[in-house]
Amino acid sequence: MCPTLPLGPHRGYGPRGRLAIAAMVAGGLASDEALESLYTCLLCGACNEACPAGIDIVSAIREARAAAAARLASKRR
Amino acid sequence: MDSGEAARIVGELGKLLPGRVSSDPAILRIYSREASGVEGAPWAVVFPESPSDVSTLLAHAYRHEYPVYPQGSATSLAGSTAPLEGGVVLSLERMRSIKSVSLEDYTVDVEPGVRLAEVNLALASTPLFFPVDPGSVKVATVGGAIASGAGGMMGARYGTMRDWVLGLTIVLPDERGSVVRVGCRTLKCRQGLDLVRLIVGSEGTLAVVVEATLRLAPRPEATPTILAFFPREEAALEAALDVRRRGMDALLLEYMDEATARLAAEARGSPIGVEGHMLLASVASTRESRGRHLAELEEIARRRGATRVYRAASLEAAEEKGLLEVRRGLFAGQVLAGRRSFPGRRIHVLIEDIAVPPSKLGLAASMIRAAAEEAGLPLGLGGHVGDGNLHPSIAFPLDDPRAAEAAQRLHEEIGRIALRLGGTVSAEHGIGVEKRGLLEMELEAIGGLEALRLMRGIKRVFDPKGILNPGKVIPP
Repeated sequence: MCPTLPLGPHRGYGPRGRLAIAAMVAGGLASDEALESLYTCLLCGACNEACPAGIDIVSAIREARAAAAARLASKRR
Repeated sequence: MDSGEAARIVGELGKLLPGRVSSDPAILRIYSREASGVEGAPWAVVFPESPSDVSTLLAHAYRHEYPVYPQGSATSLAGSTAPLEGGVVLSLERMRSIKSVSLEDYTVDVEPGVRLAEVNLALASTPLFFPVDPGSVKVATVGGAIASGAGGMMGARYGTMRDWVLGLTIVLPDERGSVVRVGCRTLKCRQGLDLVRLIVGSEGTLAVVVEATLRLAPRPEATPTILAFFPREEAALEAALDVRRRGMDALLLEYMDEATARLAAEARGSPIGVEGHMLLASVASTRESRGRHLAELEEIARRRGATRVYRAASLEAAEEKGLLEVRRGLFAGQVLAGRRSFPGRRIHVLIEDIAVPPSKLGLAASMIRAAAEEAGLPLGLGGHVGDGNLHPSIAFPLDDPRAAEAAQRLHEEIGRIALRLGGTVSAEHGIGVEKRGLLEMELEAIGGLEALRLMRGIKRVFDPKGILNPGKVIPP
C-alpha cells in the first residue's frame, strides 16, 4: 500500500491520483498542486505490486516528472 | 445552475471550511471518475475533518440546492460514487481514525474514511477480526462498504456488511445538517424501525455516515484449505456444493474457470500450475479437527474428478504456498484476457455481479456462457460460489460501438438469467447508475414493483430536496 497516501491532503498523493495527474502533464493540464503530489511519490513500487491491471505506475510517474521538467525548462527559455 | 452561481457557492464553501475545499481542476479530475469508469464534472471537492464539517456542507447544500456526492475511495463498480450533475464531491478520506475497540463487547468504532484492511491491521494482535472482505479491501473504506452493503470472499460464512454494523452516526441533508445517532452498541437491538439496515446499502442516497460501530467476530481457530483443479466446470461447481451438502462450515468457496485462472496465474507470476477449472475451498475448523476436515475436502474434490489437489493447514499456510495468488489475480486475469482478445486496442472490462441460489450455479454458468457466445464477446467466469455469487467478466474494445452495444445487451441478459434462476441482478456491487434498469426488472419479476413507490417515499423523507447523490439507485 502506498506509504504517502495516508499522509497527503487528498487522493493525488496516492497511485490512482498520481496516474491521473501523470496523464494530465502531457496536455499541460497539471496544476502546481497536482505537480506537488507527483513529486512527493517515493517511487517505492508498492503500487506496482498491488495493481490488478498490471500498470507500471512508477514508470508513468517518472516519465511524467521528466515531461513536467521539460515543460518548465521550455517555458523559461 | 450557471457557472457564476457555482463559483459563488464554491467561494462560500472555501470560507466556511478553510483548507478543506479544492476547486483545482487537476485535482477535481481525480475525483470525477470512479473505478467503474463512470464519471462527471464536479465544481469542487470538500474534505470534512469532523462531523460538524459534514453538517456545515449539507446545510449549505440544502440552502442553495446543489448536489452532494459522498465518496470514500470511489472503488464502486456500479457508478454509485460518480458526480453526475456538477455539484460537490464530499470526500470522507480525512476522517480516518479508529476510535475504540472492545474485546468484551466485540465492537470497534471507526470514522468512515478508515480502510477495511486498516481495521484488521489494528486488530491483528487480538483474537478478533472484521469479516467483510471485498476484493478492494486494501483501498475501500468502511463508509463506502456501508454505503454499498459490501460482501466479499467470506460471504458464505459471514454474510455481508448489513450483518456487521451495529450503530451509525449520520448527517442528514436537511436545513441544519442534523447529526443523528441510530442503532445500538449491543448485538440485540430493537429500536423501532431498523434505520441502520436501511442506511447500509443505500449507496449514500439517504444520509452521510460520519461514524460507525462495527461488530467483530473471533477468528476461526483453524482454516484448512485446498486448491483443486477439475477438467470440467460443472464438476468444480458440484464439489463446492458437496462441501455445503455435507454441512461443512465453509469459510470460502472461490471458483475460477481455467482460462481466467491461467491468465491470473500469469499476471501474478504464480508458481502454481493451472491444470483445469479452479476451486479454492477453506473451512472453519479447530486444531483437533483440522486434519480430518482437510482429508474430507480432498476426498470431495477427488470424488468430483479433481486431477490435482493442493493442501494447506491454514489460510496463512495456503498464502505462503502461493495457493491464494491465482484467486487474487481474478481481475488481473480478466484484464489480461481482454487485452489478449483485442491486442493493441484500448479495452473496457465489465465485471458483472449476480447471485443465484447455489443449487442453480451449474445452470447459471452454462446459460451465461451461451449468452456470451451469442454476443460474440469473450467471457471469463469466477465467483464466490459459496453463496451463489458469480462475477462474469466481459471485455470489449472501446473503439467499436457495436461491440459496446453487444456488451450492454449481454450485461442485461446476464441480469435476466439471474432472475430466471431465482437470483438477483446485484449481489454485492450495488445498483448505482448502471443497474437501475435491472433493479426495476428484478422487482417486476418478483412481483415487487410497488417497492419502488416505497423507496421513493423514503428517499423524500430523508432528502426532501433530492441533493444527496441524485440519480443513483432508484430509477426515475
